[in-house]
Amino acid sequence: MTTTPAGDIAVATSSAGDIVGTRNRWYLGLLLVAAPVLLVCWLIIYPIVSAVIQTIWLPDGAGGFHLSFSTYAFFFSDDYSLANLWLTLWTTFVCAALLLVVCLPIAIYLRFSVGRLPAYVQALAIFPMFVPSIILSYAFIRVLGPNGMVDILLNAVHLPKMRSPYLTPWGPVIGLVWDHIPLTVLILLSGLGNVSNQSIEAARDVGAGRWTVLWHIILPRIGNAILVAASFAVLGIFSAFTIPYVLGPAAPEMMGPYMQRTFRELYDPTNAITQAVVSFGFCIVFGLFYVRSVARNQKT
Amino acid sequence: MKRREFIVAGTAATALTLTTRLAFAEAGRIDWYTTSDQNILDFWTNIVKPKFEAANPGITINLVDAGDNAGAQAIAERALAALGSSADPQVDMIEGFDARQPVGAVDKGLWVDFKAAGLSNYSKINPLALQIDGMPQNLPYRGSQVLLAFDTTKLAAADVPKTFADLIAWIKANPGQFIYNRPNKGGSGGNFVRRAIYEANGKDPSVFKVDNYSAEAGAKALEPAWALLNDLAPSLMDKGAYTSGNSQSIQLLGQGAVTMIPAWSDQTLAAIAQGALPETTGIVQLQDLGFPGGFSRFTVPSNGVNKDAALKLADFVLSEEIQSAVLTELGGFPGVSWDYVSADLREKFKDVIPASIPVFPGGDWEKAINEGWYRAVAPNIDPKS
Repeated sequence: MTTTPAGDIAVATSSAGDIVGTRNRWYLGLLLVAAPVLLVCWLIIYPIVSAVIQTIWLPDGAGGFHLSFSTYAFFFSDDYSLANLWLTLWTTFVCAALLLVVCLPIAIYLRFSVGRLPAYVQALAIFPMFVPSIILSYAFIRVLGPNGMVDILLNAVHLPKMRSPYLTPWGPVIGLVWDHIPLTVLILLSGLGNVSNQSIEAARDVGAGRWTVLWHIILPRIGNAILVAASFAVLGIFSAFTIPYVLGPAAPEMMGPYMQRTFRELYDPTNAITQAVVSFGFCIVFGLFYVRSVARNQKT
Repeated sequence: MKRREFIVAGTAATALTLTTRLAFAEAGRIDWYTTSDQNILDFWTNIVKPKFEAANPGITINLVDAGDNAGAQAIAERALAALGSSADPQVDMIEGFDARQPVGAVDKGLWVDFKAAGLSNYSKINPLALQIDGMPQNLPYRGSQVLLAFDTTKLAAADVPKTFADLIAWIKANPGQFIYNRPNKGGSGGNFVRRAIYEANGKDPSVFKVDNYSAEAGAKALEPAWALLNDLAPSLMDKGAYTSGNSQSIQLLGQGAVTMIPAWSDQTLAAIAQGALPETTGIVQLQDLGFPGGFSRFTVPSNGVNKDAALKLADFVLSEEIQSAVLTELGGFPGVSWDYVSADLREKFKDVIPASIPVFPGGDWEKAINEGWYRAVAPNIDPKS
């Protein structure tokens, strides 16, 4: 708890601290990151640029091309597309909120308890990571679908059947929340590593209650982790495919299945790419949140 | 589905690299590839291969799963590249393939013309199958059709609807007991929707041709069908839910959540055999005009090392023995006319023998149906319900 990594770096970059002799060979660092940077440019940046160009530089029917925003105008004036976008945003935010509500108590429990039970709880919380989403989807139908296990249990205690969430927007919400629990718990848990036991004990000593400790000691220290966890959840859920495809309603559909259908079944790549660019536009906002929080972390 | 496809493609790719490394075409070994599902590969492994090899000593069949159409197309392109050279294409038959691909293969003479190949059983092929396809380089050998699968514990076989009008009346009289899948996510719901389109257009399949789609013709033909399906929606499971595939519909029928679904004939019989559907599942075909379906075909390259053996196999597949097995073991329909399967099988399957197998054209019609259904019929469901 007494080491200050930032201090070490400061020493290494001061004129007297050029221990490994890299000060005059600044290009070494660039070379080390060159491979991932080139890969990102080739596999991510270039496709994005080419996708945007393909959606605004359209053939004019006479063999030439011209600048046109007609596919975007269509998307944002088409009720069906907008309903799909709205459903995607709704699902994403509901899932992100539910994930934090579900995962924060689990993470806090795992951080502050000792013994054998937390180890089992952690294993259970990480378990969804090892279940492919297609298997999860079919298991969901068996358990929460009509006449599934839950209905059988309800029937056994003479309760009426529930309205199954299968094929409604709540189906993907439940599936996606379950699927994203491991990553969210792990990120929050690493954030909770920043909260020292001493600070909590100090607060307790001066008479702080549980909620005061949570609100004034724990949450301020893990704000960044919550932001990162929420960004990861949002990015993963916005582009989800399998779970909304199998469990969601036919319409409105989430952007993932919508894009795939436009591309493969309507043979309409231009509109499919337009949908992808619109999705990308929303995702990049959350990506920027994440990048900003990482950058802020490195500065401090 | 992405992950599953990936695994399947990965396995197929691994299998392909292994076979191309280790295998060289051998005289007397037919290299056979398929694009079909596991149940078809099982059928060839357990039925066709042992029977054929017993009847033709010295010839063996090497069954390879090409994964999907793209996998088989790569094999076909290899054969096309080898055409005209002495190179060995290492392929003698592709099951579940269309000779229209790769582009230009027919003109260059890659595929054997079965009409001129002198197969003794060629004349037995169901004329309907030849008429649907019209490509003599494709050999239709098994058919599959959508029919109604229902729960006999809730609905007596005698009360099952026999016409589409009866079916609509039954669905409305029994709300929540019927579901079909989205038309682009599997043929069972897709062909239910197409049957509804026939119903709204005078039950005349000949109205729809692969080349007669236009925006006006599409609107005129499809809008009444959308009205019919919208009218039906409140009586479906959950007041208008649609599953996302053939197997999900079967799962709901198996769980007793619904009483009746449209389903592929072969998939239903396989599900009953495997226990995914109970023994009490009944199947029935509409008698006024059946649900649409289609025939599966195979192709034989003209430059394969074992071309003659492959043609012998092609002839064997059309024999009564194998065609009866298509019915009894696979749950498909024979590729030959019904007169060429045994009389007791004709009697046993009389409920599912269609008066005709309507085949709906693909291309622009398919696109219009996929787009139109999603915009006109699917949003009927209230997202807040």
